[in-house]
Amino acid sequence: MTYEEAERELAGIVERLERGDAGLDEALKLWERGEELYRFCAAQLETAEGKIEELARRGADAADAR
Amino acid sequence: MKMEPIVYGDRKVFTVAAFNQGVAQWLQRLPTIWVEGEVTELRRQAGWQTVFFTLKDPETGACLSAAMPRGQFDALRLDLANGERVHVYGRPELWPQKGELRLRALSIERFGLGEHLAALERLKAKLAAEGLFAESRKRPLPRLPRRIGLVTGNDAAAKRDVLTAIQTRFPPAQVVVAETLVQGRRAAAAMVEALAAVAAERDVDVIVLARGGGGFEDLLPFSEERLVRAVAACPVPVVTAVGHEQDTPLCDLAADRRASTPTAAGRLVVPDLDELLAGLARSRDALARGARRVLERHAQRLAREHERLRRAPALLVERRRAALAQAAGRLRALSPRATLDRGYAIVRREGELVRSAGAVTTGEPIAVEVADGSFGARVE
Repeated sequence: MTYEEAERELAGIVERLERGDAGLDEALKLWERGEELYRFCAAQLETAEGKIEELARRGADAADAR
Repeated sequence: MKMEPIVYGDRKVFTVAAFNQGVAQWLQRLPTIWVEGEVTELRRQAGWQTVFFTLKDPETGACLSAAMPRGQFDALRLDLANGERVHVYGRPELWPQKGELRLRALSIERFGLGEHLAALERLKAKLAAEGLFAESRKRPLPRLPRRIGLVTGNDAAAKRDVLTAIQTRFPPAQVVVAETLVQGRRAAAAMVEALAAVAAERDVDVIVLARGGGGFEDLLPFSEERLVRAVAACPVPVVTAVGHEQDTPLCDLAADRRASTPTAAGRLVVPDLDELLAGLARSRDALARGARRVLERHAQRLAREHERLRRAPALLVERRRAALAQAAGRLRALSPRATLDRGYAIVRREGELVRSAGAVTTGEPIAVEVADGSFGARVE
């Protein structure tokens, strides 16, 4: 699941719950699922460390050698 | 000059001069054509009848000797210098004395800015006709790319600007950088390769192709057909930031998004972390609120049902009471009591109703019932 998918599903659940017409069991399940999605999204944002990686200049080196 | 071979037994042998002459004659059958290249080793001397130069293929380094009579060369008034790009109209010939191939130039045209522009316009029209620049081909950028590819020159500014913008806005960003040539004849090929290398990295969801401005000539590689096609064909969305407002390089037209500066490109490819966190927090609040609302709604419904249930017995008694009263009223209306109220009386003899005068005899006791009671009497 990507962040975007999780975010979209969460938004859908919030909307469904805000309408207030869900059954009780359903509402509880939606809420649980929503919390799960929230934790997933938050984890993606908070646990990841920024990283910059350099690729080797393969193409340029080969061209320079010519 | 004789081209007949000398015959030694069963072997025919040509002199060098005859061989060269023969090849030269063959070459003369080739058509006159245009050749494009860079002028190098230009040798023009007052005492020489011929101007010599070498045409070099800027991309591969392949060389071709060329020559032109000095008078003709001077009449063109080109004032050529080494390194300039030219189109030479001529035909191949063999210099018999050395057995060397060269281009006999009949005319030379400088391939300058104007020609470049015209060629660019033609390429632009061609690629546009193919639909390479169509809006419908443009892909949306991912909201939160897992990894970001960055193809940039080794000029520090553009790279630093993109990285700073990305990391300021979204500190946890993962970036894969490929430095490459962005200037000169080999730049386009190098960038195509770098683009492919970055796109092949796992989880790269978007690529930034950046260069921090430059003159028209410096940006020419960004308009080369191979790079434009590579940008269009890239498996993930590409954001270009070549940083030139007036002359849009063609790769900008093929890109999914175009940014005015490397900094702008960096801001385009990542979301603002603070905003994202705030939005997420709002979603969570809304989630809890929504769940509570559903719960409250159900609780209220339950309370209403309970209230109705509680009131049901009392309601039932009330209803019965009303029905009873109604029945009593009707009963009363039908009973003889109402008649007695109006002044009539009921006469009984030994408990039996007296309905006729003949039913009683004189002196007999009878009971008379009126509205508010009864009394005894005797028949006279």
